[in-house]
Amino acid sequence: MALLILYLLVNVFVLGFFLDTILEKAFPKDDLVVSFCGIILLYFLSDLFTRLQLQELPTLRVQPYLQLPVKRNSLVRYLTFTSLISVFNLWPFILFVPFVLKVIAADSGNLTATAFIVSLAGLTIFNNYLSLYIKRKSNLNGWIFLIAAGVIILIGLSDFYFHLFSIRKVSYLFFGYLVTQPALALLPVLLGAIMYYLNFLYLKNNLYLEELGSRKTGKYKSSTEYPLLSRFGSAGDLAANEIKLVLRNKRSKSALVMGLFLMFYGLLFYGRPGPIGSDGVKVFVGMFMTGIFIINYGQFMFSWQASHFDGLLVSKINFVDFLKGKYLLFTIVSTVFFLLTTPYIYFGWKTILIHFVMYLWNVGVNTTMVLFFANRNYKRIDLSKGAAFNWEGVSGNQWILSLPLIITPYIIYAPFALLGHADIGLTLLALTGLAFIVTRSFWIKKLEADFYTKRYTIAEGFRNK
Amino acid sequence: MIEIKDLKKIYNGVTVVNVPHLEIKKGESVGLVGNNGAGKTTLFRMMLDLIRPERGEVLMNNELVAGHEGWKNFTASYLDEGFLIDYLTPEEYFHFIGGLHQQSHAHVDDFLAGLADFFNGEILKKGKYIRDLSKGNQCKVGVASCLLQNPELLMLDEPFANIDPSTQFRLKSIVKDLNKNKGVTTLISSHDLNHITDVCDRILLMEKGVIIKDIATSSSTLSELENYFGVEQSFATAVRIDEEENH
Repeated sequence: MALLILYLLVNVFVLGFFLDTILEKAFPKDDLVVSFCGIILLYFLSDLFTRLQLQELPTLRVQPYLQLPVKRNSLVRYLTFTSLISVFNLWPFILFVPFVLKVIAADSGNLTATAFIVSLAGLTIFNNYLSLYIKRKSNLNGWIFLIAAGVIILIGLSDFYFHLFSIRKVSYLFFGYLVTQPALALLPVLLGAIMYYLNFLYLKNNLYLEELGSRKTGKYKSSTEYPLLSRFGSAGDLAANEIKLVLRNKRSKSALVMGLFLMFYGLLFYGRPGPIGSDGVKVFVGMFMTGIFIINYGQFMFSWQASHFDGLLVSKINFVDFLKGKYLLFTIVSTVFFLLTTPYIYFGWKTILIHFVMYLWNVGVNTTMVLFFANRNYKRIDLSKGAAFNWEGVSGNQWILSLPLIITPYIIYAPFALLGHADIGLTLLALTGLAFIVTRSFWIKKLEADFYTKRYTIAEGFRNK
Repeated sequence: MIEIKDLKKIYNGVTVVNVPHLEIKKGESVGLVGNNGAGKTTLFRMMLDLIRPERGEVLMNNELVAGHEGWKNFTASYLDEGFLIDYLTPEEYFHFIGGLHQQSHAHVDDFLAGLADFFNGEILKKGKYIRDLSKGNQCKVGVASCLLQNPELLMLDEPFANIDPSTQFRLKSIVKDLNKNKGVTTLISSHDLNHITDVCDRILLMEKGVIIKDIATSSSTLSELENYFGVEQSFATAVRIDEEENH
């Protein structure tokens, strides 16, 4: 896990380090400093947008202290300050400071460079508290979030679409002056301070558990039934439960929603000339589009049910039914996703054929592979937590798992494609998928036997909070 | 009904359960008491095949629990909230559990109507998922789902801990009725000595993983248990009583 964070950080670091060369390539006509000053505000606008969606509210941390003899002011201060400990507050520095040191300091001296860094800090703090403020407000009223997001999108559109004004010009207006008047750096700091104070006041007036928590006393939750599924007996009931699991919990739901967004993945590749638009790429893209749910949701399999796994084990549930339920769920979702990709017929009937082959492959092979790895997953997931930057339940397993999922179809397809017989490769993929579907009960037996050797370890892992 | 042979569980070198032999006959009502860490829940979990013991075995109706599924047909248990599927509404959960035992929705609804007193209007048709219920109400859902399964063996871990006094009394009479009139074997753990001696005919007292007392409930059982647990408060007297009993 730490590896992935490190990897991301290194990526941003490299990006920051080579920002000058990148900017030169992107805006070859402009002066380097001008284009740098231009993108800063643009960055902070998109930063605010991502924060609104991804940054978590650090609220319940104070719960254990509320009844202790600690002054409310210091509690609120603690709460507001700890919100600064967030990866989001690192990005702008990693991204921009190398450039400031390399170019600005060399061009305009250390004082100006300091002024740049100070204003970066000010804007970061401003963004941090603004997004938290909006999030807190929208906890009470969901419309506020939509309005805020709408305003940001509108600002973006009026620059890039309506050309009413240019954010880059506005950004340059400020940072351009900053080069000559370093004292201007106090302006962003002042903005940040005001935003901090607003947060402080708001929290101080609302330091009650029910108002802090993200748990809302929501609307009436009605029971739902899926009559079609009950025809499959216990397996159908289990699949129905799991559909409810997916739809009623944030993190699992975002796995599904991400899959829906991925339906547009094909637009990036299809119809392009050259290798990007080739059938070989379609095999890959088709697998992702029809099987993203299997990969995305399946990689954490059984962990989703960690909180009630004991209950499942002692209930009168046959593990064979349990597995059949999983297959059923995967088949249903994959079928829906396949049907959603049918508009790609615009790029020729063969595109759909490839999608269908990969659909067979997903339903046949990938489901079995995912369930095989599920037997080796002992990490608990707490469903009540959000999805963004939630690494709970992530282990080396997921990385090992994604490799065979992605590579195996190519082991079959690539040799034939390279020899100019891509159609044979495609047929073989389809046949393998079909063979796995037909022999499914055999694999279920294998998986069951495998599960019985690991069930205690799985259950114990899930009990560890 | 239940037979435990030479059961032992060790965590990090510490023996948390060590039961050389225990037999519970059909129709018995057994109460399990002991301080925190005595090994009650671990014992329960081993009996339900959730934990693998280091040594020994548990048999139910002469069939090994480990590796077999037969016991699931007649055993209903509720140890903690981990037994509930918490993103379902109580109704959905009951229908699911009922469905596992081939009961129709209508049958389940009928059965639940009979539990209206026990639910006290706080469970059904409230428009909440189980995760949004209070701990006490979650316990009601768990107990009700056990009853729904028409078990021959009922296992409850500290059922009285979170529920309100009225529900405690209702639960006691339900368990008594099941045991006396329907012949259900009950195994209940509790920290409430009054309740446990009231409900159960046989009390097992656990200390550090060992069953140190196995007594049939009589009029003196409550004071006997109170003496054991009151060891901190009335130190002098308690020690003396212990010595006498050890002889």
